[in-house]
Amino acid sequence: MPSWPEKTKYISKSTLRIDAPEKVTGRAHYASDIQAAGWLYGMILRSKWPAATISAINLEKTLQVPGIKAAITAKDLPQTVRFYGEEIAAVCGATKQACLDALRAIEVTAHALPFAVREDDAKKDDAPQVWDGKPNVSVSARGSREQGAVDQAFPECAAVIEGFYTTPVQLHNPMETHGNTVSWTDDGLTAWASTQAISASRDGFAGPLKLDHSQVRVITNFMGGGFGSKLNGSVEGVLAARLSREAKAPVRLMLTRFDEALAVGNRPSSFQKIKIGALADGTLHAFELDNYGTPGISGGDVELPQPYIYKVPNSRVKQAHVAVNAGASRAFRAPPHPPASYAMESAMDDLAAKLGMDPLELRLKNDSNEVRQREYKIGAEKIGWKEKYQKPGSSPGVVKTGIGCAGAAWGGGGASKRTQGDAQINPDGSIEVRLGVQDIGTGTKTVIAVVAAEMLGLKPEQITVKVGDTNFPPGPGSGGSTTCASISPTVFDICANALQQLQTQSGIADARGNNWFAACKKLGVTPLVVHGQWQQGDPSRPLSSSPAYGVQFAEVAVDTETGLVTVKKIVAVHDCGLIIDTLTLESQINGGIIMGMGYALYEERVMDDLSGVVLNPNFETYKLSGIGDVPEIEITLLNMPERGVIGIGEPATIATAGAIANAVFNAIGARVYSLPITPARVLAALGKVPPFTAVKP
Amino acid sequence: MKNTEPEKIGAHSRRAFLKSLGTVAATAATAQVQSVAAELEKANAEKTVGPGAVPVTLTVNGEKLELMLEPRVTLLDAMRNYSSLTGAKEGCDRATCGACTVLMDELPVYSCQKLAIEAQGREITTIEGLAQNGKLSPVQQAFWDRDALQCGYCTPGFIMSVTALLKKNPHPTPDQVKHACAGNLCRCGTHPHIIQAALQASGAKVTSKTEVIHA
Amino acid sequence: MKAFEYATALSTDSARELVAGNGAYLAGGNDLLGLLKEYLVPGPDILVNIKSLPGLNRIERGENSWIIGALVTVGEIERDPEIAKVFPGLRDAASEIASPQIRNVATVGGNLSQHSRCWYFRHRDTVCLKKGGDLCYARNSENRYHSLFTGNDCISPVVSSLATTFAALDATAIVLRDGQEARMSMAGLYQKAWKEVAAHNSLNPGDLVLRVEIPTARSRSAYMQASDKHAFDWALVSCAAAAEVVDGKLNQPRVALGSISPVPHQVEAANQFLEGKTLDDATASQAADMILAGATPLEHNGYKVPMALALIRRTLLKLKGEA
Repeated sequence: MPSWPEKTKYISKSTLRIDAPEKVTGRAHYASDIQAAGWLYGMILRSKWPAATISAINLEKTLQVPGIKAAITAKDLPQTVRFYGEEIAAVCGATKQACLDALRAIEVTAHALPFAVREDDAKKDDAPQVWDGKPNVSVSARGSREQGAVDQAFPECAAVIEGFYTTPVQLHNPMETHGNTVSWTDDGLTAWASTQAISASRDGFAGPLKLDHSQVRVITNFMGGGFGSKLNGSVEGVLAARLSREAKAPVRLMLTRFDEALAVGNRPSSFQKIKIGALADGTLHAFELDNYGTPGISGGDVELPQPYIYKVPNSRVKQAHVAVNAGASRAFRAPPHPPASYAMESAMDDLAAKLGMDPLELRLKNDSNEVRQREYKIGAEKIGWKEKYQKPGSSPGVVKTGIGCAGAAWGGGGASKRTQGDAQINPDGSIEVRLGVQDIGTGTKTVIAVVAAEMLGLKPEQITVKVGDTNFPPGPGSGGSTTCASISPTVFDICANALQQLQTQSGIADARGNNWFAACKKLGVTPLVVHGQWQQGDPSRPLSSSPAYGVQFAEVAVDTETGLVTVKKIVAVHDCGLIIDTLTLESQINGGIIMGMGYALYEERVMDDLSGVVLNPNFETYKLSGIGDVPEIEITLLNMPERGVIGIGEPATIATAGAIANAVFNAIGARVYSLPITPARVLAALGKVPPFTAVKP
Repeated sequence: MKNTEPEKIGAHSRRAFLKSLGTVAATAATAQVQSVAAELEKANAEKTVGPGAVPVTLTVNGEKLELMLEPRVTLLDAMRNYSSLTGAKEGCDRATCGACTVLMDELPVYSCQKLAIEAQGREITTIEGLAQNGKLSPVQQAFWDRDALQCGYCTPGFIMSVTALLKKNPHPTPDQVKHACAGNLCRCGTHPHIIQAALQASGAKVTSKTEVIHA
Repeated sequence: MKAFEYATALSTDSARELVAGNGAYLAGGNDLLGLLKEYLVPGPDILVNIKSLPGLNRIERGENSWIIGALVTVGEIERDPEIAKVFPGLRDAASEIASPQIRNVATVGGNLSQHSRCWYFRHRDTVCLKKGGDLCYARNSENRYHSLFTGNDCISPVVSSLATTFAALDATAIVLRDGQEARMSMAGLYQKAWKEVAAHNSLNPGDLVLRVEIPTARSRSAYMQASDKHAFDWALVSCAAAAEVVDGKLNQPRVALGSISPVPHQVEAANQFLEGKTLDDATASQAADMILAGATPLEHNGYKVPMALALIRRTLLKLKGEA
């Protein structure tokens, strides 16, 4: 039965990213770089009201702006707007400047409605309803569960702690904004999309435009990041297509950075009241969670898988969605694990402190997962846990150092079983492998080249890889950390089929490696085209599987006078089954950690409750981890070939915030309960901020 | 975009060109002035142009780009939308992310926050201008070797910042690399590899500390 | 941005003439283009490029004072080896401003005259007091970045770290106003922002910052700031200190705070207290308390008080360390 070779030349080694040359020279064309002949610039007008009824949109003056070729409304009127930034209208024209002028000439008649943009405001009994007739708060049945006898169990505990841990709404903010360049042809619509899912993108055009799927072609050769926000069809794509159809010209419509904060998804917030207790020897005994969070006007991922990776015999979990007048949530890298891990791991360290126990010991006692047990031990040694661990707050001096850790599990990994692909092998020995997946920066193209090279006995440079076209055999969207585990067995299958046919046609028993060119030559003039699809392989040694785990340790220095948190080092120990390429894997883990650090220390979407706007729709005040903030990162990879290929994108980001938060607690001996852990919050936790009393005028 | 064809400078004499722009100082063409750009500036100084499109000549990667642009068009906009220089990217259009970084007279600047019309006469270098005869520059090669990129969108900006750094400081410390790249954002998290790439391009030996344990 | 005309001025007279209608000076362009892209200011109808004005981009090194032209860039200040020796605080302030790309075009004049960074002022859809509306949103909502001291209903602080440092160095800005040179201390340059809701500084339309004169009397200077991030992040609080040190004692000491008041915040009593003192923790802390006396924290910016106290102490003690 098929399984990965035991001895490998490329798999599990380091291979350079094959599309780097295009990226480092500027030759890589993203959706925003496509310059179709006669293309027009497109732009969207968004609601400046967080809630309103729009009764009229006058486009007369707009159409008179020089250079403007088309102007449309986004929806039929009357339109009920439910968040600041909702799409109202769109224009296209010869230049960006014309479009800017045109947007300002659109006249909108709106009746403003009351709104609530903060969770605590929306929860109030007299809060304006985000959806007519529907309460803002809805208890989640599937997020609520009970096990054992929690109320009896708490009094039995030797130590109990309570904490109110909160996480903010986080914005994906990929470097390339959302958008498409679209062009109508006789066959239908072609869209160069910045998407993580060309198939879903195609569906997103076909439906609203009333086209057959075969009439829509989506192309994504390069895209500038998504992190979950670009997994579906898009409002902006359909608007671009409608504009293009009316203007009879291709339209490039990319969102602005401002737009990204409003309307293309986010990670829901969480407000987690946790109570957790343990017996004297540290065994977890009782757990209670009351959580609410907002997915904006709608969306998922509010429910948290608590008590995350720990088994507690007596537990009660209650969770609720709170609707607010803000953009809907979308899947965001490992939803909803980062907030779950952050709060759970923080509670564990708080509990350890109450018990007077080393928090690593508490974990090893309560986390039975064999893989994580190994990973904790490796990581502890690398960070120097034994030498460095001291009781919370006992670090001397003004700048206090501390260490912390947290663990992860990502069960959603695995494979999309319907992945397919093909390869064309030419008589000159050149080979082109084609899959309808997309490389969102993870190194998908390189993975394909590595697997094909391995299986065919060639070099990765000899494999031409084509992805990102709905004309290719279908593959999954790049989400859930499933891509690598989907395409690797598929390419394995393609190569197996290719060799079989090549060997049959050429009469050469083994067409790999040195025999490759001779075997191909025997094809004569006709290339060989073979198909392949995902297969499991030998169940005892599958080609891919799930889940993946991972643990991370953080070492921080906290300036107790300025509140500044400096992450000095992250030690990350990860498993992802069979490693395909250590180099791109390392990049993925770096990326997950740095994003997790941003979640821990800098990122927060801020809503203004007076006006209902997003206050920080820019990189000035929505702060991403910068190169000056990035710590030393030391990575240990556990290669587990017997488990087959598993994805890493999401496991890499789950534990970071918890590890950092715990390191801060360990350093200063005081818990900052809310992310991001800003200097303001550190100083408050240290008791240095005088309580605010409103000054009477 | 659609360049409504400007009058080409080409075969015209300088005097004729300046005359065609309607300046009264056409006689300046015969004065001893270094470059066309400087002449233009002197001749056109204090002459109000716009708000409609006017001829703007940009020197990018050693070549002249002759465009018709409104004064409010930024350098980034001019490159990406009025010509085919799409290497510099638009990440924010607000001078906060660095994806649009180009070199202007060897200094890294945000092309999104510079008007094209005032970038005339300056030597502009973009990502497209680094490779020589198809050969990658040492910085480009180092980015490839150290996998200092993922989605690649921030990459041209970072490469320009690192290139400028190494020209001024051929052997930077990691802290100096961080200082030079502070104006470039990356969402994929390539920073550790970018620091490695900059050091490697400077000739320093760089090794990865990643350990692979075969379970 | 709205459409505008464009011209390059070759003399201060023609520059003034060209902006007279409804024009704006274009130097580095960072602040101006940012305002225009969000349509935060009316017009302007014309942008006047002032980077070719003669004589404004020089650094003149005199015995008793230096002159830094308004068109000198922040990057040039950062890189100047002599400024690093004579005004180390100025060099440190410059090196932390924004990012390298911004420093390469940002000018001294532009940095001093930049508009408020309050996120309500900068937001295209909130018409705050400063923009002529009738509500200061920040007072009642998100005010974590705002002032501890206010002279009017607007609580937006001055953010120019050059202004803070020039204040500590007792520098004077020379501004061309109606064809005459006007001399303004840093306090004077921002006094109007203290008094008037709509003002960002004391400059009138048409005023042109020409240069800054810095006395060399204080051979020691230091600058520090505290931010959320380690780089490319506005200061939450910034502090500059300058003094001469004679026989281990402070001579002509000045301490200024930025990002906590519409003007660079100085307390004369604290400067006087420090005069003649030997610098140590206790003295520095006492001075810090005097400087923060009377601070009125808002709901979300109370952290700036302990932060400022610490920064003042550290910045003063840094003066000791200067060789």
